[in-house]
Amino acid sequence: MIDDTATANPTPKRVLCIEDEHFIGELYARALTKAGYKVTVELDGQKGLQAAQTNQFDIILLDIMVPTMTGIEVLRHLRDPSETPELAAKVIITTNLDEDKETRASIEAQADGYIIKAEITPKELVSILQKL
Amino acid sequence: MDSLRTLHRQIRIYIFFSILLISTLVLAAGWLLLNYTSLSPGISLAILGSFSIVLAILFALRITAYVSQPFNDVRQAIAHVSPGAGLAPAPNFDRIHLGHELVTNLCRQIYELASLSGVNTKKTTTDDSLAASAAIALPIPLLVIDKDQIIRFANEACLQYLQKPAQDVLEKNMYPLLDLSFQTEDTLDSWLEICQASKATDTSSWDRVRLKLTDNDASRQFDMAATYSKGSSSGAETVITFFDHTAKYAQDDQGLGFVALAVHELRTPLTLLRGYIEVFEDEFAGKLDPELTGFMSKMSASAQSLAGFVNNILNVMRVEENQLTLNLTEESWAELVQGAGDDMRLRAQVHGKTIEYELSPDLPTVGVDRVSIYEVLYNLLDNAIKYSGDSQKIIIRSTVNSSGQVETSVQDFGVGIPTSILPNLFDKFYRNHRSRAQIGGTGLGLYLSKAIISAHDGHIWVQSKEGEGSTFSFSLLPYAQLAAELKTNGNTAIVRGAQGWIKNHSMYRR
Repeated sequence: MIDDTATANPTPKRVLCIEDEHFIGELYARALTKAGYKVTVELDGQKGLQAAQTNQFDIILLDIMVPTMTGIEVLRHLRDPSETPELAAKVIITTNLDEDKETRASIEAQADGYIIKAEITPKELVSILQKL
Repeated sequence: MDSLRTLHRQIRIYIFFSILLISTLVLAAGWLLLNYTSLSPGISLAILGSFSIVLAILFALRITAYVSQPFNDVRQAIAHVSPGAGLAPAPNFDRIHLGHELVTNLCRQIYELASLSGVNTKKTTTDDSLAASAAIALPIPLLVIDKDQIIRFANEACLQYLQKPAQDVLEKNMYPLLDLSFQTEDTLDSWLEICQASKATDTSSWDRVRLKLTDNDASRQFDMAATYSKGSSSGAETVITFFDHTAKYAQDDQGLGFVALAVHELRTPLTLLRGYIEVFEDEFAGKLDPELTGFMSKMSASAQSLAGFVNNILNVMRVEENQLTLNLTEESWAELVQGAGDDMRLRAQVHGKTIEYELSPDLPTVGVDRVSIYEVLYNLLDNAIKYSGDSQKIIIRSTVNSSGQVETSVQDFGVGIPTSILPNLFDKFYRNHRSRAQIGGTGLGLYLSKAIISAHDGHIWVQSKEGEGSTFSFSLLPYAQLAAELKTNGNTAIVRGAQGWIKNHSMYRR
């Protein structure tokens, strides 16, 4: 599947970063752009969802604590086929929230990855995304 | 009557050796007087005679006291149960050496007879029915168990507290009903064992005991007090009272929510710091002089260390509140160990240390919670880096031990740990005064590591010599053993709890 996308899409991979902390968005965008990704940053949940539903992205980095609509709600809309049919993007949760194991497991089950931001640097994020 | 024979034998041996000692002393004194003094035989004989008499009197006094000790203990027990005895103390069974078995048996009989005849050491009223109705009406939960831990009485408040009808409680074993957890190894059960072995009466109390109610997920938290009196055939051996503080302790539990929030707030600036430091390291590489590059590495390593510390705080809270659950999955141990070591390399380098691996090539896969076990490795390596002193080398070893468990150790060659503080090392917040003064940190890491390793059914221990360094080791089960467990119970995953609480262990005494 991953190889198919890579061969079918020779243009740079597009990343949507839904992140309300402006500087974190900036750091991630910088590192990803340098690594050849095309990055869009959205600062709140609702705008992030709208952007995601345009289906123009390969990867969505989704923070949980974002204004107007939480990342969990965004994820629910993205996983609802009646609202978002055939979402192509992989959704990676990027958060600093420490959910208890059950909550985290239920979020992880719907996402393609779960990252605690404080535990990685932007470059480490790039290398994680490259392995997707 | 074996115990009586034992007593006879003990007395015979004691008297035999006493006579032997007296004779030896008299002979020695006689020999000294004859060979080393110029006294006439008459005077020597008189001195020797007087010496023998004094010696005989002293030994007679000592033997009398020793031989009469069992009678004294029995007398003390009788005085203790006598009405109007006031505060006559119970015999101390720990101190009885001569005829221990006989004396404890006799004392037990005395206590039983006393309880049969209605004489009670603690009696404050002569009206039993008044006492009974007072106990029933007492608004504090009260429970009475016998020597086999069968519940003989539970008052109304207790039945309500346990949410059980009387027929489900009375005459039932307390263990299936009372799933108690304590904060330390000093549990109700450990106390009962001591009482039954060596006490006539005793009282004890415990703070913040946790009771899991069997039929639902609710739990109670309370302080508990218990009174023990030996050998009562009426059944009232131990009286237990609960002082409920569920609401108060629940407030403390909300601290976890606060800590989780604080952790989130701490992590955001930390993410930024790590990100910007990385930008500097990347984009100024080669442009900065080596000293500044070194500073940058130190900042980076410190930010990483802070991220680890923030995780420790949250996880210690979770252990305390029984909310740290582990999901055990099959992992390649060599890979995990090397991954953790590699992640710590920068931090080690900044402190001038190198991490070496000695991993046995036949390491099996292990059943571990990846995130938690990583934290154990992280904490042990972090300690090794901190306490290495001037030495440079840190070695991670892993082998399979004789019982098939995977044993892993982290060895440093630094300051070492004084023997006197080794037993406390895995306690929460424990740090010895010297390291506290010299090295920053909180002492959470080893406490957390122990909780995590225990939840994996493993053991963690330390060997250390001052000035030569320390080796922290832990054992883990190979995945094959866990797979067998999975097969037996038909589960698809193994979930464990890491506990800061100690179970009231003796479920097996049922």
